[in-house]
Amino acid sequence: MAFDLSAIGSQFFVGLSRSMILFIVTAGLSFVLGVLRVPNIAHGSLYMIGAFSAFSVTKMVPGATGFWLALILAPLVVAAISFIAERALFCHLYQREHLMLLLFTFALSLILGDLVKITWGAEYKSIMAPKIFDGSVRIFGASIPKYNFFLLIVGPLVAIGLWLLTNKTKLGKIARAAAVDREMVGAVGVNVSWVFAFAFVFGCFMAGLGGALMAPTISITLGMDHNIIIEGFLIVTIGGLGNMWGALVGSLIFGLSQAFGVLFWPQFAIVFPYTAVVIVLLLRPRGILKSVW
Amino acid sequence: MRKQRGMKRWVWMTGTALLGYLFAMMLVLGPADALARNIKVGIVDTYSGPPAVYGNDALNGFKLALEEINKQGVLGGKIEFTTRDEKFKVDVALAMAKELVMRENVDLLVGTINSGASLAISDGVAKAEKMPFIVWTAKDEKITGELGHRYVFSTAENTAMAGKAGGVGLAKKPYKKYWIAGDDYAYGHAIADAAWRNLKALKPDVEKIGESWWKIGEPDLVPYLTSISAAKPDAVIFCTGGASMTNCLKALKSTGFAAKIPSWIHTAIDHAVLKPLGAEAPEGVMGTIQYLFYYPETPENKAFVQAFQKAYGNPPGFPAFNAYITAQLIAAAYKKAGTIDKEKFIDAIEGLKVKGPTGSTVEMRACDHQAVYPMYFGTTKKLPQYDFVVATDIMTLTGDQVMPTCEEILKIRKK
Repeated sequence: MAFDLSAIGSQFFVGLSRSMILFIVTAGLSFVLGVLRVPNIAHGSLYMIGAFSAFSVTKMVPGATGFWLALILAPLVVAAISFIAERALFCHLYQREHLMLLLFTFALSLILGDLVKITWGAEYKSIMAPKIFDGSVRIFGASIPKYNFFLLIVGPLVAIGLWLLTNKTKLGKIARAAAVDREMVGAVGVNVSWVFAFAFVFGCFMAGLGGALMAPTISITLGMDHNIIIEGFLIVTIGGLGNMWGALVGSLIFGLSQAFGVLFWPQFAIVFPYTAVVIVLLLRPRGILKSVW
Repeated sequence: MRKQRGMKRWVWMTGTALLGYLFAMMLVLGPADALARNIKVGIVDTYSGPPAVYGNDALNGFKLALEEINKQGVLGGKIEFTTRDEKFKVDVALAMAKELVMRENVDLLVGTINSGASLAISDGVAKAEKMPFIVWTAKDEKITGELGHRYVFSTAENTAMAGKAGGVGLAKKPYKKYWIAGDDYAYGHAIADAAWRNLKALKPDVEKIGESWWKIGEPDLVPYLTSISAAKPDAVIFCTGGASMTNCLKALKSTGFAAKIPSWIHTAIDHAVLKPLGAEAPEGVMGTIQYLFYYPETPENKAFVQAFQKAYGNPPGFPAFNAYITAQLIAAAYKKAGTIDKEKFIDAIEGLKVKGPTGSTVEMRACDHQAVYPMYFGTTKKLPQYDFVVATDIMTLTGDQVMPTCEEILKIRKK
């Protein structure tokens, strides 16, 4: 089968936009892993809550305004939930071993899943992107849906914001330092407990943002938490545990290998991203970029 | 002492009087009761979680039919039912079916939406206990096909019928180059195989230029759609259901795919699928289904929809239709058999014909125990009078057109 360049181009941009969502979600996951050393399985549940909250906001405020408002409010709802979880539960558990934390966050994901079912019910939900995102745009002859194009703009903006936050603000620098050596950060007189709270809430905010951004393209349903968290951990692992730029590299590998797999070998598209993961881990068992663990 | 003796005597007398009364009542009512007892139907279906929407719709259809039937009664009694929630779990369904048979002494079983549960009840209870079991929503063609037997029936449309309906409908369209895509699990592949086999048989010059399968629950179908549109097929056969159906329809709309390339998805024209999407649902998507509340516009269908709407506040879906004809067939079969005997009930229901809620004939085919009725092939379109997308340009495919033949079924069963 012959492929023209525009098909390859569209597939590239669509894959890239998928990578952007994955990056936003996994950057938060990786940040929490790096700073707190918590492998947060409930991250996927927070992503799901982000999508459901976006649905509620668009129900209350109809039209395009509702959608933009949802992009701001839904991550804040998630941040609020994670703040309560951190202060009430997580802050007592940081010293526990990883297996305990893994089990604990898994339990939390089940609880959050049930809370979503109680709050929003078990039916599928759906929200609409504003009218301006209807249809496709053409870039270099390749046609891509406007909403995916929008994601291509949002992704780099978020990446720049993350870079500024972690490299140019004092809080960000402290958080990075805490990721490397938490005792030392405490020893120089920083209240590590609040740095951790900030890092956790910030990471979860990213999950909520990812959920809200993803919401218009999918059916919002129970179970979307498990889908994303498996991909999320794979991406974080191939990128380098705890390294946010690793999350970006991992997301690009995952998103693009899926998009091109679908184009070139559609019957077996499912295995492509996972094959890419295996290859990366065979060549670089500790991930592509430097792991903080 | 006196008081105690008086009390004893009082208890003694009352007891005797009560016993005498009971005995007299048994003499008077007993024989009559044995002649005209109520027929007990045990329903196992999903009443919690996402599939509950379908479970409740079916139950409402069944109740509405029974209201009508019980006005006259059946064999001098009424048809009553008791329900069990199987929670979409095979083991729970099987345990509940057994409980209904052992403890509730039901005369027959009906249900469920879960194909695995239906097959388990069919094998573990219906066949083992010689208990008639009518499947009313599950779509696995094995239920009345490969794994069918004397005690299992289906009033649901199945994957073989759906695929054949799609193949027959598509054969009337001018498309030649097809792409097939869908959920990578049994339902997806069963529909794809049946649709393609039938389309190829009716129109040998069609060509399959490629296939793509995504994992079940895949949230983002956009990369799949852009790659399919790059291959430039004339039309696409999508084999998906549940949450993936919504994802698929949304992606068809947002990518502009639906406007460029025609596609067929079984049940895409189902009101339960289209209504939550509102104006977001894509136009120009072909679909098939056995029941639409707005088509055909026969007086029977109008009356059925009106009664259903009045009783339950929303129009009936296809499960309500399936359950309604199930009740009609049960009542007619008992009347024909003249007794509540299980074997005679089965002999009576085989080949039985009733007039369904749309006015068209429904037949319980004797050879495989599969209900035969027409299916509708339509294309989605937004009409000004509805705030949701509906099916238009509807073709009616007769029961004979969409059913696998008896020879085909018997051949599969022998294997």
